[in-house]
Amino acid sequence: MMRLLAFILLLFVGLFTNAQNTEREKEKDSVIALSEVKLISVVKKKIETEMKMAVSVDEFLASSENISFIKRGAYAWEPLLNNMSSERSTITIDGMHVFGACTDKMDPITSYVESNNLSAIDIKSGQEGNMHGATVAGSIDLKRKSTPFGLSKKWNGAYQTGYEFNNKHFFNLANASYSSDKFVADGSLAYRNAENYSDGNNDEVNHSQFTKFNASLGLAYKTSALSSVKLEAIYDEAKDVGYPALPMDLWLSRALITSATYKQVFENGLFKALDTKIYFNAIEHYMDDTTRPENLVHMDMPGWSTTYGLLSKANIKKNRFSSEIQLNAYNNLSTAEMRMYPQDRSERTMFAYSWPGVTTTFAGLSINNAWEISDKSQLNFGGSLGINYNHSKYVEFNWIFHPGTPQEKTRILPSLHAGYQLDINNFNFSVGGGYGHRAPSVSEGYGYYIYNSFDRYDYIGNPDLDNEISYEGNASAGYKDDKFTIQANVNYFYIENYIIGRILSLGSPMNYQSIGVKGYTSLDYSTLFNFSLNGSYSILDNLHWNGTLTYARGKDENENNLPFIRPLSYQTSLHYQYHKLSFQTSINGDLEQIHYSPEYGEDQTPSYTIWNLSADYTFRLKNHKTVVQVGAENVLNEYYSTYADWGNIPRMGRNIFTSLKFNF
Amino acid sequence: MKKSIFFVTAILIAVTSCTLDKTDYESEISTIVTEHFEYSEVVSFNKNDYQISIEALNGTFYKGFNDFRLKIINTQTNESLNTSEVTFLPVITNYNGNNSSCPHRYNLDYNSTEEYYSGYAVFTSYSTDSENWKLHLSFTDNDQIYTIAEEIIVEEQINMNLNMTTFTGSDGEQYFIALIAPQKPRIAENELVAGIYRYDQPSDEAGTFPDPSQFSYSEVSDYTLLLDPRMPEPSMGNHSSPNNEDLLQDDDGLYHGIVNYTMTGNWTLNFRMQNQYGEILKGTEVSTEFTPGIEGTRSDLHIDILF
Repeated sequence: MMRLLAFILLLFVGLFTNAQNTEREKEKDSVIALSEVKLISVVKKKIETEMKMAVSVDEFLASSENISFIKRGAYAWEPLLNNMSSERSTITIDGMHVFGACTDKMDPITSYVESNNLSAIDIKSGQEGNMHGATVAGSIDLKRKSTPFGLSKKWNGAYQTGYEFNNKHFFNLANASYSSDKFVADGSLAYRNAENYSDGNNDEVNHSQFTKFNASLGLAYKTSALSSVKLEAIYDEAKDVGYPALPMDLWLSRALITSATYKQVFENGLFKALDTKIYFNAIEHYMDDTTRPENLVHMDMPGWSTTYGLLSKANIKKNRFSSEIQLNAYNNLSTAEMRMYPQDRSERTMFAYSWPGVTTTFAGLSINNAWEISDKSQLNFGGSLGINYNHSKYVEFNWIFHPGTPQEKTRILPSLHAGYQLDINNFNFSVGGGYGHRAPSVSEGYGYYIYNSFDRYDYIGNPDLDNEISYEGNASAGYKDDKFTIQANVNYFYIENYIIGRILSLGSPMNYQSIGVKGYTSLDYSTLFNFSLNGSYSILDNLHWNGTLTYARGKDENENNLPFIRPLSYQTSLHYQYHKLSFQTSINGDLEQIHYSPEYGEDQTPSYTIWNLSADYTFRLKNHKTVVQVGAENVLNEYYSTYADWGNIPRMGRNIFTSLKFNF
Repeated sequence: MKKSIFFVTAILIAVTSCTLDKTDYESEISTIVTEHFEYSEVVSFNKNDYQISIEALNGTFYKGFNDFRLKIINTQTNESLNTSEVTFLPVITNYNGNNSSCPHRYNLDYNSTEEYYSGYAVFTSYSTDSENWKLHLSFTDNDQIYTIAEEIIVEEQINMNLNMTTFTGSDGEQYFIALIAPQKPRIAENELVAGIYRYDQPSDEAGTFPDPSQFSYSEVSDYTLLLDPRMPEPSMGNHSSPNNEDLLQDDDGLYHGIVNYTMTGNWTLNFRMQNQYGEILKGTEVSTEFTPGIEGTRSDLHIDILF
C-alpha cells in the first residue's frame, strides 16, 4: 500500500511536469504514511503504448520522447536517453544495478525484463537522475510489479497472448498475484518466439529471429504493521537470437536478478520511510557465429557479469519540505573472452580477454529535496557524491596499449542539480541546471579489441581517461486546460572530456572485418541540445489527438556532428472511442538526417514516414475483463531504416498484429 | 517463506554455476609452453679425483640457448674448486666426420656467491644417431691441467619461444640469433631477450684437435635488432601489436627489447639486424598492411614462436 500511495504521489508530481501522465488511477487502501516522494520525473505507467497493448519493453520505452534506440536487430535494443549512449545513463531495475555481459552491447538491461513483470518505467533526465548513481544523460529505472498487502480481491492475474504476422512472433504472457494481510506473492511467466522479419520490400532479413523466456517471482511478508520483507527474483533466458546488423548472433544469454528488501514505515517523526535492499545478479552471455559461414574466422565470445549491491533509502518530510536520501553501493565483475579458431582447426587457438576481469566498485550517497515554496511553486535541489573504484585483474592486457597504467583507479564522482517549477493558472514553467561527473564504462576504460561493426573498428579502452563532466541546463513551459495541453521541453548539455573512439595510429586490427583500431579518448568537450514539444487535444469527448515533435543536435569540439543524434522526428495520433470499441491511428517518422557524422561511421539516412492502425474491443467473459486487439504497423509497407539502425539494416515492413488480454 | 528461500538459493546456485566455464588464464598460457625454473644436473663426469657436474634448466641441454652451471668437486677433500681456469668447448661431429662448434663461452666465469662456474652454449642442432655433440672441458688444480672429452645429448627444443636461427649476413659473416626470454610469454608486454653471436673465422691453421681458435665465437656488440612481430595465421590478416621496442645490447651482452603479444597463438618475430654503422646485414622490412585471409610475408630474418 505504500507503493500505491507512492503511485498517487507520483501521479501528482507527474502532473506538474508532464501532462501526459494522467491516464489511470488505481484503487488504494488506507493511508499509513507516504513512502516515496518523487521529484520531477517522467513516469511511464501501464506498460503499453497508445497503439499497442502487448508491447515489448523496448517498444514501450520507444514511446517516450527522450528515448531513442540503437537497433541491431529485432531484439534487445540499446536505449539512448537524451541522445546519449547507454554508458552515459544509469539503467536500473528497482534501483538495482545490472550490467550487461556482452562487449558488443547485445544485451542492454532492458532485455532482461519482460513487460509483464514491470509496472512502470521511471525516466529522469540529466542530473535529476543521480539517485541511483553517477550519470550524465539521466536514469531509467524499470519498476517491478508489486502487489499491495490486503487487497479485497485476493487473487489477481492476467493472461495475454498474441501473434504478429510479419515475423511469426508468438507470445504468451501470464502473471498472477496473491494478496493477504500478511503475505503477498507475485509471479509472472513469459515466452516469446519469433522468426526472421521481412522488410518493406518483403525481403526476409536473415538472422533476426529470437526466443525469450522470462519468469519472475516476488514474495513479501508483513513483519509488523509498519514493516515488511520482500524477496524477489527474475530469471531470463534468451536463446538463438539473431543480430542481422552484427557478424554474430547469440546462442544463449541467462540472467538471474535477485533481491531482498526490508521496508519500514514510520507514523511519526521526521523519517517517514526506510527501505533497504541487498541484491545479487549474474548474467552470462554467449555469442555464436556458427550460423554465419561467411565469416573467415570462427570465434567464441563468452561474457559474464556479476553484481552484488546494497541500496538504502530514507524519506524525510517536514511541513513543505521533503527529502529523499539514498545510499548506493555495488560491486561488479565483468569478464569477457574471445577465442579465435585458425582455419586449420588442429592449430592452436588464439585467446585474449576483451574485458580482462574488470571490477567496478561504487559507493555513493544521493540526496534529493523538494521544497514547496507556495502552492504554485516548488524548488527541487539535490546532489550526490560517489566513489568509483576500478580494478583490472589482468592489467597486462591494458599495458599493451597503455604501458605502465595502474591496475587500480579511484574516482570521485560529484553531482549537483537544482530546478524551479512554477504554476500560474493554466500555465506551468520550469527551469533547472545540473553538474555531474561519470566514470568511464568497463569497455571505455578496459576494453580490449572490441569490434564495433558500425564503424568497423576495433576499440581499445583507456584506463587513464578523465571523468566525463556534464554541465546542463533545462527548461520547460506548458499550458493545460480541459481540452488542450501543450508542453515544450529543452535541455542543453555541455560535456567536458566527452569520451568517444578516435583512430589510433598504433596497432593493427585483430578482427578480420575491421579496418583499423580506435582508442577511447576524451574530446575537450561536446554539446548536446534536445527539444521536444507535446500536444494533445480533445476534439470530441471520445476523439483525442496527440502529437510529439522532437529535435536534437550534438556537436563535438570542432563543431563536427556527433553520431546517433536523432533528426527532427514527429508523431501524431488519433484515438477514437465508440462504446467498447476503440480505434487508434498514428503517423510517425524522421526527417532526413542532415547532421550525420561520417567521421564516426554514419551515412545519411533518408526520411521516412510510417502509418500505424489498430482497433480493440473490450468485453466481459464470465465477468472477466477481456480485450482483443487487431492492428497493423507500417501499413504502407515502407522500406526504411532509421539513423540509429546499426549497419542500416532495414526495419520491419508491414506487420499485422493481434492480441488478446484476459484479466481475472 | 522457507520454501521460497530454498527456491531462490536453488536457482542462485544453478545460475552462478555458469553454463560454460571461464577460461583459466594461467593454464591457458601454459597449454603449449612449460616454463622451467629449476636447475638440475644434466651430466656428471669423473676425472681422477674430481667430479664435474653440469646443471641446466630442467636438467637438459636443448637446441638453442642454454645457460649452465658447472661445479668441480675434489672427491678426496669433498671441496669444490674455485680458483681453477675452466674452459668449455662443445664440438659436433657430423656423419662425414667434419667438426664444428656453436656459440659458447669458452672461459667460464666463477660465481663466488653461488659457488659455480657459469657459461652458456647455443646448440645449433640436437643430437641424432649420426651427429653427436661432445664436450671438451679443461680445468686446473694444483698447477695440473686436466682435460675431459665426453659425449652429451642435446634435445630438441619444443618451446618455440626459445628458438634460434643461423644465417650469413651481407658482410659475409656467419651469425646466430637465439631467443632467451620470455620462456613463457603472456598476453602482455614481454621483455624479449636474445643473444646475437658471430663465428670468428680462424686466421691460423688448425692445431691439435680440439684447437679452440678454430671454434671461436663472439658476442656481437652494438648492433640493433629491429623488431616487427606479426601473426602469420591468414585469418589474422598480418595482425601486429603496438609499443614494441627494438632490441639493444645491455650490460649482460644480450639484446633486450619489448614484444607485445596481443593474444595467444602463432607469432612471427620479424627481425632486421643492423650493425653499429646503421647497415642492415640481414632482414627485410615486412608489409604493415592488414590483409585478412592472406598470410603475411615474413622477413628473411625471422623466428616463429607459439604460446
